[in-house]
Amino acid sequence: MIRTALASRPVRAGAALTAVAGIALLAGCAPTASEAEEPTTPDTGSSSTSDTGSTGSDSGSGSYADGTYTAEGSYATPESVETITVTVTLQDDIVTDVEVTGDPQKRESEQYQSQFIGGIADVVEGQDIDDIQVSRVAGSSLTSGGFNEAIETIKSEAAS
Amino acid sequence: MTAAPVPWRFDAIGTTWEIVTERALPAAVRDEVTGRIDAFDREWSRFRADSAVSALRGGGAIPAPEDAAAMLDALAALSEATGGAVNPLIGGSLDALGYDAGYSFHDAGPVAAPGDWRERLSWHDGHLALSQPATIDVGALGKGRLVDLVLAALQQAMPGDITVDAGGDLAVRGRPQRIGLEHPFDPRRVIGVWEVTDAALCASAINRRAWPSATGATLHHVLDARTGQPVRTIAATWAVAPDAMTADAVTTALFFDGGPRLAHEWGVQWVRMTTDGRVEWSPGCGADLFVGTDVERGNAPASRPNSLER
Repeated sequence: MIRTALASRPVRAGAALTAVAGIALLAGCAPTASEAEEPTTPDTGSSSTSDTGSTGSDSGSGSYADGTYTAEGSYATPESVETITVTVTLQDDIVTDVEVTGDPQKRESEQYQSQFIGGIADVVEGQDIDDIQVSRVAGSSLTSGGFNEAIETIKSEAAS
Repeated sequence: MTAAPVPWRFDAIGTTWEIVTERALPAAVRDEVTGRIDAFDREWSRFRADSAVSALRGGGAIPAPEDAAAMLDALAALSEATGGAVNPLIGGSLDALGYDAGYSFHDAGPVAAPGDWRERLSWHDGHLALSQPATIDVGALGKGRLVDLVLAALQQAMPGDITVDAGGDLAVRGRPQRIGLEHPFDPRRVIGVWEVTDAALCASAINRRAWPSATGATLHHVLDARTGQPVRTIAATWAVAPDAMTADAVTTALFFDGGPRLAHEWGVQWVRMTTDGRVEWSPGCGADLFVGTDVERGNAPASRPNSLER
């Protein structure tokens, strides 16, 4: 679990929530979900002592209700979609606390490897089909004529 | 075993099929097989305008096709196991990248599939219903299901050895068959051999259903539903299971984190290759792989009874 301390100084709610989206940008490549910009349900499981307040207001200019808000943001890595959880505590429209936690799925995948993967080889030598005896071969599905023709058309258009 | 096996080749559902039986199939059996394939295609193909899933694109409800529960239950398990990377409403994401009914291959940029698909799609009350417009794509496991249906029809009609090969997805009955695992980067080579008896061996790889993106990079058909983008780490997967739908489901799951765990829970053996050429396999995997000597972990692939390594 990644735990990042952030923004000890009070900032306006709107700015903080924008910053939340920015965190996703900094942490990875392309943010794919915008939930982070949306204060939604108060986080009842938070350790914050503030009251949970009512649901955040839905328009930008209005005030936000005091309380603790949790949002999830995600960004794509080559391997997976990583998720971070951002908890923002609001009081009188001022952010008094921001906590970012992440649980990168890569760590889980290492756990998978120990439990559910029997072995790994960095190199596979391969054999020529003509040199071995097999009744048939399993690979990606052969494509149909329509698919192949369309690909050829695209290639020739790209070349012209 | 007296007569030579008789292959029957035909094109259907966008790929090449080969069915091998000990004796030539009577015309009535062939008609039944093609009829089953056509009926399945009419229900589940997003490539044809007259299919049930095309009719549902705008939302609505239809009487649930016969295979809806089996396939969508499996897809729900895959979605759960992969953290949402697998999603039966991925059709719109494939369309967005250009893998559409017209094979336009016009890349309009990635579109994530609806993450709340469980709320939009229902299939348990005798109806297949979509509460909002979306395109259902049952993916590889749909083809596996069809292979199982075809095999069942053939088994009823004819005793003896049977092979159903739907362009790389195989179900075999009768005598053991040695199946080569095609190298995803070189179709002239195989990375191993898997002997299969009374089971299905299915494969999924990124090398054939591929096309250029708007920027010239290569796109392919195995998408992460959460981003709508092609998977970049896994190049090919293989799985052996009692039925082809289960094997195909696992080949899809293995493109994502969570796949090996699901395979373990379902008792399915597998092999997969990453895009940087590494090969991984399940504990106790029965495949005979042509790997080098630098295997990272013990448990090297089986006892190599059929190894042809030199």
